[in-house]
Amino acid sequence: MSSSDELPIGQLVRKESVHSRVYTDQKIFDREMEEIFRQGWVFVGHASEVPKKGNFIRRTMGLEEVLMVRTMDDDISVLANRCAHRGNLLCQHKKGKKRNFACEYHGWVFDFKGNLIDVPFSDGFKGELSDHATTAAKVSNYRGFVFATFNTDPISLEEHLGRARFALDRASDLAPGGELDLYGGWVEHAFKSNWKMLAENNVDGYHVSFVHDSFAKGIKVNYKYENVLVTEEDKLECVARDLGDGHAEIDYEPTYEKPLVWLGVDPDKYPEYTDAMAKAYGAEESQEIMRKGPPHTFIFPNLFIAETAVTMVQPTGVDGVVNWHTPLYLKGAPEAVNRRILRQCEAALGPSAFLLADDATISERQWAELENSPAWLDLSRGADREEVEEGGTITSHYTDETPNRGYWQHYAKVFNDADARAANNAKSAVEAAE
Amino acid sequence: MSDPATQPKFLPYEERCEVEDFILTEARYADESRYDDWEALLEDDMIYWVPRGVGDFDPNRDISIINDNRSRVATRIRQLKTGTRHSQTPVSPMSRVISNIVITRLSDSEYKVNANFVLHEVAVQSTEIMNIMPGRVEYHIRRRENGFGMFYKKITLINGASAVPTIAYLI
Repeated sequence: MSSSDELPIGQLVRKESVHSRVYTDQKIFDREMEEIFRQGWVFVGHASEVPKKGNFIRRTMGLEEVLMVRTMDDDISVLANRCAHRGNLLCQHKKGKKRNFACEYHGWVFDFKGNLIDVPFSDGFKGELSDHATTAAKVSNYRGFVFATFNTDPISLEEHLGRARFALDRASDLAPGGELDLYGGWVEHAFKSNWKMLAENNVDGYHVSFVHDSFAKGIKVNYKYENVLVTEEDKLECVARDLGDGHAEIDYEPTYEKPLVWLGVDPDKYPEYTDAMAKAYGAEESQEIMRKGPPHTFIFPNLFIAETAVTMVQPTGVDGVVNWHTPLYLKGAPEAVNRRILRQCEAALGPSAFLLADDATISERQWAELENSPAWLDLSRGADREEVEEGGTITSHYTDETPNRGYWQHYAKVFNDADARAANNAKSAVEAAE
Repeated sequence: MSDPATQPKFLPYEERCEVEDFILTEARYADESRYDDWEALLEDDMIYWVPRGVGDFDPNRDISIINDNRSRVATRIRQLKTGTRHSQTPVSPMSRVISNIVITRLSDSEYKVNANFVLHEVAVQSTEIMNIMPGRVEYHIRRRENGFGMFYKKITLINGASAVPTIAYLI
């Protein structure tokens, strides 16, 4: 990509506002796909989705089709789902088990690392098999969460995750064996809006009393939601956090006074589960893990742990996004616990859910308006009452736009860094020519 | 030739009309978002299920688009009636066509109905797009005083395994 026609995207983000063009401009979207979804780390899937050698799932990184595979040496690879010959989709099935990937156009066969291993009618094949591998992404895994990037020289995944890695620990630790097992499948919910609106909305505490007013009125028993849905500002005990690096969260933990409130049940409801947890972590620590419950944390750019669901944001165009969700099944937990998690997940997320259906509608209205009337959008709420914790995490009132400010500062940094690199490269090229 | 024992038995014409009339009435209440009228058709053991597409799914293991028992349907309807269910405010104009109806008697008082449907919905509360949702539907109904009550409705969307738009209306 030449630097001359690149937009200074960083200039569309200010400290306490953002310009609507970032949601509606096709050129900006194209650069996001390159700088964020090809050059940065992207969540692709969970290791438990490919439990056996040869298991694969089809996913996307940005707009690009990929396959996540459990290789024959029990590793996980992520490959461009595209034949290196003529570009045909290598695998049409959404998931399954294979020995290799054979293209159905001319029969080229690739192994699970992307190497071309066989070509039919090989007498006429010119060159070397090794010149025609399909692109393999760099892959790294944290607590089973598999991330990939097409950047050949990326920062480490640990550096990318930063302080957000604790959210993945918090979710995984809820299983007695410390592992999630995402076997529930995914529902895909399409919104006609920009992918970043969904990402931002996930950690926006301010909208809850308004967008989800009908849920507050519709449910008879509030229980886990009773603190969130109060309408008096000084009574809200949850907090919002900017974790740095584009990651952010809302933490409901301050409202959970005893274990399992996050499941909407009494602490002694699942003795088999609490016993298994006590065995795994010790009595005291297990009680604290079960009190704190799962995180509500967004991990830049596309992973969101929505308490009892794992969700991912899939951009499909400047005006389209698909929200995927699957239940946060805990490996080794009794079936009754996972069934409860499933029911909560269905209530909150998806096309017909009590919550996300309304988020989708608001997001679609917002996108349609912004497309036709560009404007600077305010993000200043609570900027004067934030607290910076040790390590750099910024904490504020549940309803403050702290998570959004952190998100946009990181977004701007991605493009400012890329623009600086491009300018540097151009300068070096000129110097070399002189 | 298929085995005659597995063929659905023809119901007497009047009995078939009664069952069909119930199914088509349910569709009309849903089309017109007549929530109270629709809810009055439900039995206490109602299951309202939209699996994620065509396939063999376990509702207690595989995530569904909707999997409501009677109490969760009641919550759904209370929410729709609040006036702030944004995803159905205003309500979507809808028209569904039910066809290919096959009726099987389950017992003296209970019937299973299999049908195909095409639902047209205009998302007037957001995108103004007309969504077309085709699929298969299975109803279980039982006789009660003054007609029938419904205790099972499974809606299989043929596009349910792909990304689907918001479905906050009664499907």
